[in-house]
Amino acid sequence: MRGLQLPLSQTQRIRLQRAFEKLQSLSSKANSDASVTVADTIPVNYEDAFLKGHGTTDLNGELVATVCGVVERINKLVYVRGLRARYKPEVGDIVVGRVVEVAQKRWRLEINFSQDAILMLSSMNMPDGIQRRRTALDELNMRGIFEENDVVCAEVRNFQHDGSLQLQARSQKYGKLEKGQLLIIDPYLVKKSKSHFHHLEQFGIDLILGRNGFIWVGEHVETRDGMVVDQANSSEQSMVLEEKNQTHTPLEMRQNICRIANAVRVLSTLGFSMDADLIMETVELSSSLKIDIHDMIGSEFHVLVAEREAERRSLMGKRRR
Amino acid sequence: MVGLSVGEKHFIQGGIAQDLRSDGRKRLTYRPIYVETGVIPQAHGSERVRLGATDVIASVKAELGKPSALQPDKGKIAIYVDCSPTAAPMFEVVFALAGRGGEELSTELSLALQRCLLGGKSGAGAGIDPASLVVVEGKVCWDLYIDGLVISSEGICSMPLPLLLSNTGIPKVDVEAETKGDDQPEVSISDEEFLQFDTSGIPVVVTITKVGRHYIVDATSEEESQMCSAVSISVNRKGHICGVTKRGGAGLDPSIILDMISVAKHASEQLINKLASEIAAAEASEEES
Repeated sequence: MRGLQLPLSQTQRIRLQRAFEKLQSLSSKANSDASVTVADTIPVNYEDAFLKGHGTTDLNGELVATVCGVVERINKLVYVRGLRARYKPEVGDIVVGRVVEVAQKRWRLEINFSQDAILMLSSMNMPDGIQRRRTALDELNMRGIFEENDVVCAEVRNFQHDGSLQLQARSQKYGKLEKGQLLIIDPYLVKKSKSHFHHLEQFGIDLILGRNGFIWVGEHVETRDGMVVDQANSSEQSMVLEEKNQTHTPLEMRQNICRIANAVRVLSTLGFSMDADLIMETVELSSSLKIDIHDMIGSEFHVLVAEREAERRSLMGKRRR
Repeated sequence: MVGLSVGEKHFIQGGIAQDLRSDGRKRLTYRPIYVETGVIPQAHGSERVRLGATDVIASVKAELGKPSALQPDKGKIAIYVDCSPTAAPMFEVVFALAGRGGEELSTELSLALQRCLLGGKSGAGAGIDPASLVVVEGKVCWDLYIDGLVISSEGICSMPLPLLLSNTGIPKVDVEAETKGDDQPEVSISDEEFLQFDTSGIPVVVTITKVGRHYIVDATSEEESQMCSAVSISVNRKGHICGVTKRGGAGLDPSIILDMISVAKHASEQLINKLASEIAAAEASEEES
């Protein structure tokens, strides 16, 4: 059990430990994940052909770890994933980033990678929606689209030859994110799945699980049809800015946003993979038990979630058999 | 500190206005506080307190010394807070450049603590009664050294003051023989018996941050970036104000400060109860282990 920084009472500690042990025993992998430190031997069946991945090295005929982390096995690949590793991007990943700099014809975004990612002006849809060549005027008006510290959702396009990352935000579902909060968790908790954009209808909330560990929870924004070019639209936009200064998010939506955000926080503290279904279940668990939003980050709820997850996985395992 | 977009700032301000902060807390609710006692075995009392991302270790060491000539019936107390360079990147960077970085914050915190714990120059209104520290009047007294180490800090304003003295045991002292005149009396320090320190007068520091038109306690670093100003008020168990420090931000109307003081009194009650229960739990778990 990790050193959870929670004020746990004695009984809570025991319950949590039991839940974690149950989860470990249910882990379906043959040579279950082991945590290793530098120079620990990795338990591998040497007769099988396997590939040595990152964080491992061959020492005196044995496979030895070179970083502190957890052993991951994917098919024949054996590698060690560092505990506080940065995000490892793949082409096509959805990421959420923060603009750190507005440079010539591009924005630099921070995405928890070893370098800042680049979003070219040409990889971004223009506000008026017309597909055209970017002029010098567009370049001067870049700040009107994204400013420093804006939260942006984009997709990984490719890697440059020098190792830096290029993003694109061509579709309507990408773009600036407002009216919500950004949560930062470990990147390995967000696994690749079919969809990272979740529109939770019953709450009217957008949940975006960025693969770099940045999770956005916010009010639902209708994806505007970019083809509609209107004078009325632009005047509407300037009105909206003024209105924003007066209207806040309604209380009920805010409560839902906070509940979902706390569910994400709890799951990340316990180290469970982020999944929209799991998040929704956690939210339902908290509202069914009438737990106050703030108490969701208390110790009792953490223990409940861990126990519930252990139960759920054991049920799933039984169903498979 | 990470910057925030306009939308996020607006969200935070709206939350505070509607009494529902980003993690669901009310304006006057604290985050869970994690207390461990007895982390430094060589000290007479020590504690480690975690609140959010802020991590502070505090310890009390007691030594026998001679009271000052001006106040022969009182013991001496020295308070010092050290911000380690690992506490926040800004400490480290400035530390390297000017060698001073964390020192400014250290002195500011030390002074603030001294003011609220030690009271005025004459010793009046002190949280710890120095008169209880004297062993033989005029000759021997206890010197208390209270040290704090900030391991990591999230926002300057969210430094909790640990009620560490609650588990400090001052060794019982037996005076050997009566000596006359200026001779130093012989004292033997008992290793077994400890006198529990009287901690009912010790204040708690509550930092009230003003965001827009509302006050919050225990601000996270994001909320702090939105603050107009912050005031740290130390209140003791009886509800008396032991010290007021205004930290940064814009100027304040005097009526607002009075307002904040009343809010602090209210918030301190629940904080004192919470800390007391946490410390009791920590001591209980320490005894078991």
